Amino acid sequence: MTAIENAVPAVSDRLSRWTLLIFACALVNFLLGQALIVAGVTWPEVAFTAGSTLAAVHLITLGWLTLLMFGALFQFVPVITTKPLLNQWLSLAVLILVEFGLTGMTVGFLALNRGASGLARCLPFGGTLVLAGVLLAMGNIVTPLLCSRPLALPGRFVLAGLAFLLATVLLGFTFALALSVPAFTPLAAPLLASGVGYHVLAGLGGWFTLTAMGVSYKLLPMFMLAPEERGWWGECVLQFGISGFGLSVIAGLLSVWRPQAVLLNAVQHLGWLAIAVAVMAYLIDVLRLYRTRKRARIELHNRAACGAFLSLAAALVIAVVLVASHRLAAYAPALVLLVLFGWLSGLGLTQLYKIVPFLTWITRYGHQLGRDAVPRVQDLVDEARTSPWFVIYFLGVALAALGAFINVAYVCRTGAAVSAGATLGLGFEYWRAWRGHYAGRTRPATPIPPPYLSRGGPAP
Amino acid sequence: MTTPEPLTLDIREELRRGGEPLPHIMETVRQLAPGQALRLLATFEPLPLYAVLGRKGFGHQATHHNVEDWEVLFTPGTAVPEQPKGKKPHTTTVSTGDWPAPSAFLDNRGLEPPEPMVRILDSLEHLGHGEVLEAINEREPVFLYPELEARGAAIHTDKRDDGVHLLIRRGA
Repeated sequence: MTAIENAVPAVSDRLSRWTLLIFACALVNFLLGQALIVAGVTWPEVAFTAGSTLAAVHLITLGWLTLLMFGALFQFVPVITTKPLLNQWLSLAVLILVEFGLTGMTVGFLALNRGASGLARCLPFGGTLVLAGVLLAMGNIVTPLLCSRPLALPGRFVLAGLAFLLATVLLGFTFALALSVPAFTPLAAPLLASGVGYHVLAGLGGWFTLTAMGVSYKLLPMFMLAPEERGWWGECVLQFGISGFGLSVIAGLLSVWRPQAVLLNAVQHLGWLAIAVAVMAYLIDVLRLYRTRKRARIELHNRAACGAFLSLAAALVIAVVLVASHRLAAYAPALVLLVLFGWLSGLGLTQLYKIVPFLTWITRYGHQLGRDAVPRVQDLVDEARTSPWFVIYFLGVALAALGAFINVAYVCRTGAAVSAGATLGLGFEYWRAWRGHYAGRTRPATPIPPPYLSRGGPAP
Repeated sequence: MTTPEPLTLDIREELRRGGEPLPHIMETVRQLAPGQALRLLATFEPLPLYAVLGRKGFGHQATHHNVEDWEVLFTPGTAVPEQPKGKKPHTTTVSTGDWPAPSAFLDNRGLEPPEPMVRILDSLEHLGHGEVLEAINEREPVFLYPELEARGAAIHTDKRDDGVHLLIRRGA
């Protein structure tokens, strides 16, 4: 039991004023990345390491998923810690730095494709801006996390995720220098030749997956009325996740210079095993969470999220089969596609369908509550109209993944086009929620004391 | 001997018409067979009924199906025991400083966000200036703080094992 607190936190401490703008920019980046894939200028039409593929991959990972995570964390971390961000304006600075940096990186990647070495210098320049943005974002997010004692499970996931983000960005920056500045190329040549996979693993696994797990451990129970305490299962996911991604990335990077080291190889496999345990424990725990919920009928965002969890389960099974049969390297790009679009983007799109209306509602109508007729949060959305978009999105992802695994490019592109169309449809629905398009039905202000109000104190 | 099936009483229409269903509920309770549970369907969580039927030995289990759609199962012989010794009962949760004793109470546990906030702000508007509302939430209402600040209200937060206890005083 804690002592009674007297201070009322300031208005600006609780609502992240830039989060919705960050989400909008992130969604545009996602659509641009998808457009490049649909246009056929990326893998599987060209090499996975081609500049245009890298441009699309970074539009999706940095421009979409990283900004999405930042926007969510700027709002979410003060909620889980009840401590304010370092500074609200830092969130806007992060958005500007990452967007400009990403533009520079995209130009640089596309220049690499055409052999334009001058323009390729945009790559490290953009990378510098991105690095600065990431450091600012980390400062903004880590400050309330470190001020909170004891730190709840979701917060510990986020802290671990941020450490992997720093490692991912620093590795990426090294690659940018090696690709575009000839003086650095010999130094980083081994890393460039066989270290890219660990940059991907640190990003997709350590940063995105651990953070998404942490955020879902808060969001899912909150809106399904399920127990937030995850006990042994939550700890298992966190500890195996951190050690799994940590060991496999560190041992993998060291093995770049010592490829024949047996010990490093063994540690790397131990890391993969720990990742598999963490993901399996997470999926079982999510199932427990859905089963122990108090709310009988759950909202669309949590129903649709099952598509993301199924994608993660499919990715786990496929990864285990590929590692066991020593074919991971050949199918890694297809696995990356399934994780990026099915698990991470799928979870992001579904949760946005709750976060956008919720933030819109609280920003626009919070001050009218109890005084005027206001719509309810669920009046800002039309679930029946939106649910087909989620179905189409995940069907598109399944088709794209199938095309990638059987190595038929047009099937992959068709799937990508279907999921891009669904993303556009979902984007319109977020826009409508923000504009109050469906908000005709309003909740009246209660003219008489509401029936749930018990006058004279609690019942004896 | 097998336990009889619960008896269902649907008071939703009566509540929507603005009726007073308590006599109807008590009459139904009297008609229950020994060991039989009462399944009550209501448009809101019937908090005062928990105490009334609790004194008769009924425990309760509430399910929130939808907006204005609650199902509560009152089972005889399963009433939750009184507050454990050493823990202060709600009514003596101190009013801080010169605050008056709470004049209204809300139990918001089991409600999904933002319903606790909606109920608190709705209720606050029906209190007199300077009056105090006591509420129990499942989580700390972080989005409520700025609204209270903007309305000149003050809040004291007290995190306990059974929920977050709030004392909110309406501003002048």
